[in-house]
Order: sequence, then structure tokens, then C-alpha cells
Amino acid sequence: MAKTSVEPALVVHSSQQGSVGGLGRRKRNRLRQRGLPWILPALIVSMGLIFYGMGYTGYVSTLKWNGTDPDPLSVGAQNYVHAVQDPVVWQAIYHTVVYFIVTFFIQTALGVVFAVLLHSKVKLGVIYKIIIFVPVVLAPSIMAPVFRQVYGADGQFNWLLQHLGLGSLAQPWLAQSSTSLAVIISIHIWEWTGLTFVLYYAAMSQIDPEILEAARIDGAGNIRSLISIILPGVRGTTVALAMLSAISALKTFDVPWLVTIGGPNYATEFLGTLIYRVSIPESNVGYGAALSIILLVLALGMAILLQVRGRDKDGVS
Amino acid sequence: MFRSIGAKSRLRPVAAAAILGMTALGLSACGSSGSSAADEGSATSGNVTWWGWTPQPSGAERYIAAFNKEYPDIKVTYKQLTIDGWNAALKPALASSSGPDIYDINPGVRMDDFSSFAADLTPAMAKSLGSDWKSKVSPIGVDGLTTKSGKLAAISVGSTYSGSLWTNKNLFDQYHLTPPKTVDEWVNVCGVFKKNGIKCFVQGAAQVAFNRDTLQAISNSIEPGVWNKASTGDTKWTNPTIVKALTTWKRLFADGIMQDGALGVQQYPDANNEFMSGKSAMVMMGTWYMQYATTAGMTPAISAAGVANPKPFPIVPIPFPAASGAGSSDFALSGDSDYGLAVNNKSKVKAAATTFATWLGTSKAGQQEVANVLNDIPALKGIAPNWDTIPMTDRSAQQPSVQKLIDQAATVTEPRLGLVSSDLSTAFGVASTTVAEGKASPEQAAQTLQSSAEAAGLKFK
Repeated sequence: MAKTSVEPALVVHSSQQGSVGGLGRRKRNRLRQRGLPWILPALIVSMGLIFYGMGYTGYVSTLKWNGTDPDPLSVGAQNYVHAVQDPVVWQAIYHTVVYFIVTFFIQTALGVVFAVLLHSKVKLGVIYKIIIFVPVVLAPSIMAPVFRQVYGADGQFNWLLQHLGLGSLAQPWLAQSSTSLAVIISIHIWEWTGLTFVLYYAAMSQIDPEILEAARIDGAGNIRSLISIILPGVRGTTVALAMLSAISALKTFDVPWLVTIGGPNYATEFLGTLIYRVSIPESNVGYGAALSIILLVLALGMAILLQVRGRDKDGVS
Repeated sequence: MFRSIGAKSRLRPVAAAAILGMTALGLSACGSSGSSAADEGSATSGNVTWWGWTPQPSGAERYIAAFNKEYPDIKVTYKQLTIDGWNAALKPALASSSGPDIYDINPGVRMDDFSSFAADLTPAMAKSLGSDWKSKVSPIGVDGLTTKSGKLAAISVGSTYSGSLWTNKNLFDQYHLTPPKTVDEWVNVCGVFKKNGIKCFVQGAAQVAFNRDTLQAISNSIEPGVWNKASTGDTKWTNPTIVKALTTWKRLFADGIMQDGALGVQQYPDANNEFMSGKSAMVMMGTWYMQYATTAGMTPAISAAGVANPKPFPIVPIPFPAASGAGSSDFALSGDSDYGLAVNNKSKVKAAATTFATWLGTSKAGQQEVANVLNDIPALKGIAPNWDTIPMTDRSAQQPSVQKLIDQAATVTEPRLGLVSSDLSTAFGVASTTVAEGKASPEQAAQTLQSSAEAAGLKFK
């Protein structure tokens, strides 16, 4: 914005004075400096809210501090060393990777299937769309007690299993390290498949129907059309969803915290829940800040990686 | 653009004046940070905000109503926050200037976190109770709320103690059962309840802070005082009594005492709601549960548990069943100040806030209300509940038990939270859940506690 507002003025100014060279450069520099006050409010807001916050978090990450003590202790990189040596951090990263892979593939598969089905003019399609999308708009804090009840030892999920003749599978899903992560993943899929579906539904609307008709004439069936025409046609959406899912997995907090408090035994701990746990209930704000910086680096790295991979496959250098 | 350059030169003095003005404002703000009587406002009028995780709003309303009989011009507004969200809400509020005038504080981690924002209330105590004020209030309510530098950060409203279980008397009567005195008896009682489709004992073991209460109660049922010695470094956490307590904790899960899936259940609201809705016969709660022995306290609690047309039922406290020996009819409790009222140093109505905190914590009228609400055992010595004014569902069954609990709590010296650092608190969570799930032996879990205590800087003899 600053550049576009300054350049035309420079042209007018130089031509009116009829001078070039050193005088013009000096005036140009002066005008650039004078443009600063105009962009200052936006600069302060963006720098203040984002970059200052990041910088301050980076500073706090070098402290041993409970968040209120007026005399925090500087510990250098000790919090980062602690993070690298902390098995719970690695556990949280492992959960994040599993969470991303499973939720992304299942949500993508379900989203594509729902979008394809609802593009085929099924009866009551609008109602199905609403049903699929409703979980997206429900607040996790409202749904968390419901899921604690549903997946409880005497909850509705076990009741359903028993009535389906699968009573031997009934178990306290949230109380076991072996099953609690799967429950959290299932809740995420339930919640976010609607968004995946909507994005794919919109992307599929952009595919030229004539291409599909040509494929039909050439003898392509439903599966062949899906694999060879539709999926390549929505590739951009898939890349965008992969990036969003990766960042969302790294930032996951609400569902695991509200449903299992990251437990049992850290079985549903993610970086987001761990940062909250150490920063707030445990008042170890310095360590929490170090984890936040690690999370930031991971999120940026993941976004860049997915973006670059997506570009490469699109043939964009 | 030319015009803007010209305008800039005209704006320069304006900007300079603005900067000077802001600097002056900043300096005046700095200058006003030291408090004076004028800054603290009137001691008899003003609008005071109070944030707390306890008492329940109904109890707070009673305190405020009684206070307003003496101080009608001080309007106190109470806001209850969840205990889990307390730190997250209060830290930024106190760090900014939008914090409450009065806030709850209790011994242990929260004293470390929030006492620096609080005014020293020692002069207020001396003014209200005289120079020998310490002799007139419960010592357990003073020690835990005093900083290392000697500042009284909050005035204790009352104390609370853990180490008891609460029973649903109707369910015990219905199945002709007597409350268990030992863990072995407990197993049998639970067997009967289970056969009849009733949950025996409910605890939200996912909310690990309450696991420490249960472990401490078990330890004290084996050998009183060992837990406290480990907390002060006088014995190690690997002491056989602690290992036995962890073994017994494991037994609660293995022998069917604890409800299925306890590690996925939170104490609040899940376990509390299970008990209040009559689905469970017993729950691990401390003296803060006395308020539900009253019809006024229990009716909304049952309603909040999702029961339509709530009908209060009699709840009765019992000592924690003994892990060894024949058991005792006496309570083995640990406790501290439930909460004290801290006055925010940044408050603009500090004097009025101090008036309320002092009235509730030291006046006979305020402390009588505290006693009658039965949320806490009063901080001021010599105050007892006025039973005639407290409606109970089954007075003959409840009053003697609750009175006994209060009497025995008055003799307790073992702290509940006062010696727990945040590192040790985390270690209790790890130890209790890993043992319950079979991922660590009691010996390994005890070693985890020892390592964490040492890492937190506790020196052991």
C-alpha cells in the first residue's frame, strides 16, 4: 500500500522540478520517510499483535517464570533442552502426527464420498447437507460433556454395541490409554467432515460437466471418473485441506482438553494441551512459552512443506 | 502529497503535545501507584467485585445480604468461576487493571501465583480483632495465607478438610448395608450395590487433583502423619506406608470399588452429578460437601445434576475406610483454609473491599453466616452452626455426623494443599493414573513422587 501511494507522487514531483540524479533520490527518500506515518497505525497493530507477541513469547521462553513473579529467572535455552528431553513432548508430537494422518484421510474420503453422492441429485439432498454440516457449527464446549457421556463406561456407545450383539467390545473408552486417542480422533472427524464436504462440494461444482460426459461416452464408470476426473479436478482443495488439517492438528486443544484433559496418562496429550497445562495449571510459563515457539516452528515448517509439495505436483516452480 | 508535507509540519507540534500529554499521563499513573487513604476510597460505600471458585452463588448471596445489613452502601457483586479455569481467568485480570477488587486465594500453588497482587491485610486483622488477633482465629487459616515475607495475603473465611467419604443414606438403608470401616468391608458393600445395579463409589480420577486427596486419606488410614512427613521432607515418598497407600489405591480399581472407567471421569461435574442424581452410593468429597447436607444446598445441586423435580436425600459423612486394621469411627483429615479473601492492590475501592473481607472473615455475624451455610468451618474460633436455623433432610441421621466432622476438623494440623508444589501436584497425577492403569507399580510410582519432590527442591533428611 505504501509503495503504490508514494510512487505516483514521485513521478509528479520529479517532473515538476525537472531534476534527476542525487536531488531526485534525496527527495524520494524524504518522501518515503514521510509516508511512514500513514502506514504506522497498521504497522503497530500487525507488529504489536503478531510479531511482538511472538518475540515476547520467545523472550519468556528463556525464563523460569510462573507468570506473575516480578523477578523471573533467566535460564537461557534450558527450557528448550528440557522440551527435547521431555517424553511427554515427544508423545504429544506423536499423537499430533497420528491425529493428522488419520483425520485427514478419513475426512477426505468421507468428504469426497458425500460430495459426490450429493452431486448426483439424491432426494432430500438439502437435508443431508444440513445434517452433515451441523457438527461444524456446534461448539466443542457444548459437545464435550455429551461425548464424555456417550463414550463413558456405561454410555450410549457401549449400549449400542451391546444391542448389536457386540457387547464383548464394550469398554471404558475414555479411561484407557489404548482407546482414548481413537475417541478424540472420532470426535474430530464427526465435527469437521462437514467442512471438508462443503469444500469438496464447491470444488466439484467447478469441474466442467462436459469432461465428465466425455468420460462417460468413452466408457468410464463411476470409480474411473472419480479417480481420473474428479479427484485431479479438486486437487487444489485437497492440498489446502491437508495444510489446514496439519495446522489444526498442531493447534488441537479444545476437544482433548474438554473430553479427557489430555489423559489418561497423557494418552491424548497434544502440544496445545501440554502448553496450556504447563503454563496455566502448573504455572510454568517459561516452559510453556518454549513449547509455543516449538509449535510455531513446526506449524510454519509443515505449512511451507505442504505448500511446496503442492506446487511441485502442480508443475509450478 | 505536497499538501501532506505541509500538513505534517503543522501536525508536528500537535504530535509533540500528544506525546507529552501521554507521557504526563503515564508519569501521573506511576505517581499514583503508591496507595494513600484517598486512593483507597471510602470504607463504607462503593461497588466491590468479588471473584471466587467457592462458595456457591447461593452461599455468597447470603453472605452479601447479611453484610449489607451492616453496610448498606457497599454493593458486592460475586462472580463464580470454575476451579479449572481459575488461573487462566485471574492471571490476566490481575495483571491488567480489570481484575476484581476481591478474589479467592488458597494455600499452596495459588498463594505462589497470586499473593503478589494482594494487599497486606495484617493491619485490618489487628484493627478488627486487636493485636492478639492470631489467637482468635484458626491457625490453619493464617499460616497458609501468609507469604514468606510475612504479608497476610488474604483473610481466611473458613477451612476445609478432605479425608471423608459421603454416603447416600437412602441407598444404604434400601439394601440394608452399613457404611464400610475397612477396605475389605468396602469391597463387600460394593458387591451388593453392583448386584442391584447401583454404582458403589464414584470418583473423577481424570481430574487428578482429587486423587491426591484419596491417596492422602488412604495413607493416613494406614499410619497417620507419614504423608505429612513426606511432604515436609522428614521421610521419603518411598516410605512403605506410601507404597501401601498406592497399592490400596490400585485395589480400589482392581476390586471393583471404583466405578468402571473412573480414569475417564472428571470429579466436577461428572462424579458430583452421579452422586447428586442418586446413581452412586458414595463419593470422595471433603467438608465442602457439608453444604449439601442442607435442603437449601442440596436442592439446586440435584437440579444442576440434570434431575427434574429434585428431591433432596440425606447424605452422611463417614471416615475413609481403613486400608489396614479394623478401621476407626474417627475421621483422619487434612486441611487448610478453604479460601481467603484477598484485596487487589490495584483496586480503586480498596477500603470498601477490605471492609467486606474483614467483616466476612472476622466478625461474629459474618462467621455465623459462614457456619450456617456449611460450606466451610469458620475461621473465627467459638463459632458453630446454628442448627435450629439449618433445614436438613434427615436431621437425626445427619446432624451428629456433620457435627462430629466439624469437631474433629478443629483438631487437624496436617495441611492438605499447603505443602504441594506444582511439580509435586503433577507427580501425584502421574503416580495415581499410572498405578490405576497398571502402567507403573506402586513402588515405581512412589519413586516418581520422590524424584519430583527432589526436583522441586525439597530436601529430605
